[in-house]
Amino acid sequence: MTEEKAAPASGSILVVGGGISGLTTALEAAEVGYEVFLVEQNPYLGGRVAQLNQYFPKLCPPTCGLEINFRRLKDNPNVKVITLAEVDSVSGDPGNYDVTLKMKPRFVNENCVACNDCVDACPVERKNSFNFDMDTTKAIYRPFDMSFPMRYVIDESECKGAECAKCVDACKYNAIDLNMEVKTMELNVGAIVWATGWEPYDAKKIDNLGFGQYDNIITNMMLERYASTNGPTAGKIVVPSNGNPPESIAFVQCAGSRDENHLPYCSYICCMASLKHATYIREQYPDAKVYIFYIDLRTPGQRYEKFYKKIKEDENVILIKGKVAEVNEDPVTKQITVVAENAVTGEKIRQKVDMAVLATGMQPTAAGCKLPADLNYTEDGFIINDFEKGGMFAAGCANKPADVVSSNQNATGMALKAIQTLVRR
Amino acid sequence: MSNQYLVEPDVDFIKELEALGGDTLKKCFQCATCSVACPIAPDNNPFPRKEMIAASWGLKDKLVKNEDIWLCHNCGDCTTLCPRGAKPGEVLSAVRSYAITEYATPKAFGKMVNDPKKLPILFLIPVVIFIVLGTLTGLLNFAPGGDEVAHHLFFSTWLVDLIFVPLAIAVAAIFALGVKRFLGDIHENAIQQGRTENKPIDAKAFIKSLISILPTILKHDKFNECGENKERGTSHLLVFYSFVALFVVTNIFFVVLYVFQTHGPYSQLNPVKWLANIAGIALIIGASMMISSRRRNSDQPSGYKDWYLLGLVLGLGVTGMLAEATRLADLAGLSYTIYFLHLVFVFNLFAFLPFSKLAHLVYRTIAMTYSEYTGRK
Repeated sequence: MTEEKAAPASGSILVVGGGISGLTTALEAAEVGYEVFLVEQNPYLGGRVAQLNQYFPKLCPPTCGLEINFRRLKDNPNVKVITLAEVDSVSGDPGNYDVTLKMKPRFVNENCVACNDCVDACPVERKNSFNFDMDTTKAIYRPFDMSFPMRYVIDESECKGAECAKCVDACKYNAIDLNMEVKTMELNVGAIVWATGWEPYDAKKIDNLGFGQYDNIITNMMLERYASTNGPTAGKIVVPSNGNPPESIAFVQCAGSRDENHLPYCSYICCMASLKHATYIREQYPDAKVYIFYIDLRTPGQRYEKFYKKIKEDENVILIKGKVAEVNEDPVTKQITVVAENAVTGEKIRQKVDMAVLATGMQPTAAGCKLPADLNYTEDGFIINDFEKGGMFAAGCANKPADVVSSNQNATGMALKAIQTLVRR
Repeated sequence: MSNQYLVEPDVDFIKELEALGGDTLKKCFQCATCSVACPIAPDNNPFPRKEMIAASWGLKDKLVKNEDIWLCHNCGDCTTLCPRGAKPGEVLSAVRSYAITEYATPKAFGKMVNDPKKLPILFLIPVVIFIVLGTLTGLLNFAPGGDEVAHHLFFSTWLVDLIFVPLAIAVAAIFALGVKRFLGDIHENAIQQGRTENKPIDAKAFIKSLISILPTILKHDKFNECGENKERGTSHLLVFYSFVALFVVTNIFFVVLYVFQTHGPYSQLNPVKWLANIAGIALIIGASMMISSRRRNSDQPSGYKDWYLLGLVLGLGVTGMLAEATRLADLAGLSYTIYFLHLVFVFNLFAFLPFSKLAHLVYRTIAMTYSEYTGRK
């Protein structure tokens, strides 16, 4: 067939989720001329990547890449970013979907210049979910220091509302409006890309690993926040119970991953993440010992393998083949003892450490709440792409556990799939 | 451990383990969760992770000649935490079953005990022996008279002893042969692994070890360390002490009969009778508890080897108590029939002891003793 296809077909693309995958899909489609609606439920873009301290294996800060993407967004009138919004319903067929969005109020309008006066005035503290509740913010807050959009937001569940209104008085720019309400928005789009991402697996469910029970057991994502300069300790990795520098840290790989009782699949990133975390610790504390307990160290590809080999040379990083299946706490020192069998030597090891990090895996967001669209899922909640049917596609970790590189490649591919849907309309 | 070890997988062995209830063994990916989950595994070379890889690779010698498979009390803690559903507890149970057949001679009996199709034959053997021997000697009286029902009028005590005394000797001999080989094998295995010195087992020290582990067995300490299926400790304790009590009662009966020439049945007021009655009831309760917990527990699938033994134990208790009850109720015909059946059950349990799962009472005791003897921690 040599039938000529007209240049860019009309119709727009909805991208659900403003993490690294959603940003990529939105930008790639927008930069070839398509109108894109980028919907994000948080008050900021960047998703999980915004919570990371460094990328593996280059050990560069993700904020750098995010900044470039935010720049591209600002420069591109084709992308409409809608934060604090969720998709309420989707109907229609490939090429023609009617979508209803539900938008929560931010209570802060575009007059905001991020001067921080409102925060000084606000009397209410809230747990900071961006830092996994390890610190607090005021009820009016900036999600993180390079939030996009750069606007403050009020946590409705904590704010005392009109009876307090101290922030309204403090704001010189008339940016705060406590009367904002939930709004809905109707869209007609030709294709939808679901980039709904992942949640860290709830470590409390792994009851033999003591998370939530012992102070000095944290998750890998919590360690990222500790290590981040914009985290709860301004970048210092400390023992949670006393704030001291840790002299020894154990990493518990496959905490809830590759486990039929939890997540049956390999979460792909945790081995590389823990090896990367070893570099955070070794950099901050040159004498600290790092113990990594694993089933298999999975560092796929040449670059990751090279990274692993380099870490392996460090004599203060001790790699032990054997999954931790029991943890105990010293009631006085709050130190943690992790118990594993070294499967190479056949010795049972009881390693006492100042803190333990559970390398918890990723669970697709859709495992918790099914999306309001006609999609097929794996048993574990990952969206199955149906390219025959087309129209709707999953990108990044909504589709499979993946690192940032593969997520971006996948997200770019899904931008193309979405465009093809429009062209074949 | 020797530096070089030639891995010679025995594929048939793997298949046999799978058939004996270890069908999940290939799911294992060697994460070693099980060795940590196990509350009774020693710190040095804990089980069952190393047994799981040996099973996957079909390394028969590493399993059958290994006392660790007997240290396991099959509580199921490892199976519960296993991330792969590989059920290490069940695999070890299958290995034990295989090992029992391996050490018992003649092997044909072992195969029969594990084969549901041979069950009628196992029951027919005592029936034929009882009738043939009873008829030849005239010690089996199909028309017992008398004012009251007394089982010995029908099935003479002499006939019982004529059958069971030689049987006991045969069972002891089979066990003696099995234990000799077993102990030799595990000792050799431990020497190879460098876990003990290369010299013959010191009999005196071994017996000392046996005495020192007796309280552990009598108190069921190992069972009580288990997390899952804790109530199994209670049911096993009931059945265990019922058998101990019934063994004592039988011996008293034997001695009284031959020394004082006093025949049963004993009066219900006799303390020996009390003990027998309590033990009989405890046996039924214990066996019923075991059966119902096995039926409830889907994580721990039960195979023929489990049901065969539990069926025998329950059948033994029920026929024993019913034979007594019908005797007291003066239901002569019924009582004699049930008593005959009871003896069939006793024969099965007794004669096939070295071949059935019940043989664990010997092998586990030896393994625990050996472990104590070598100072395994």
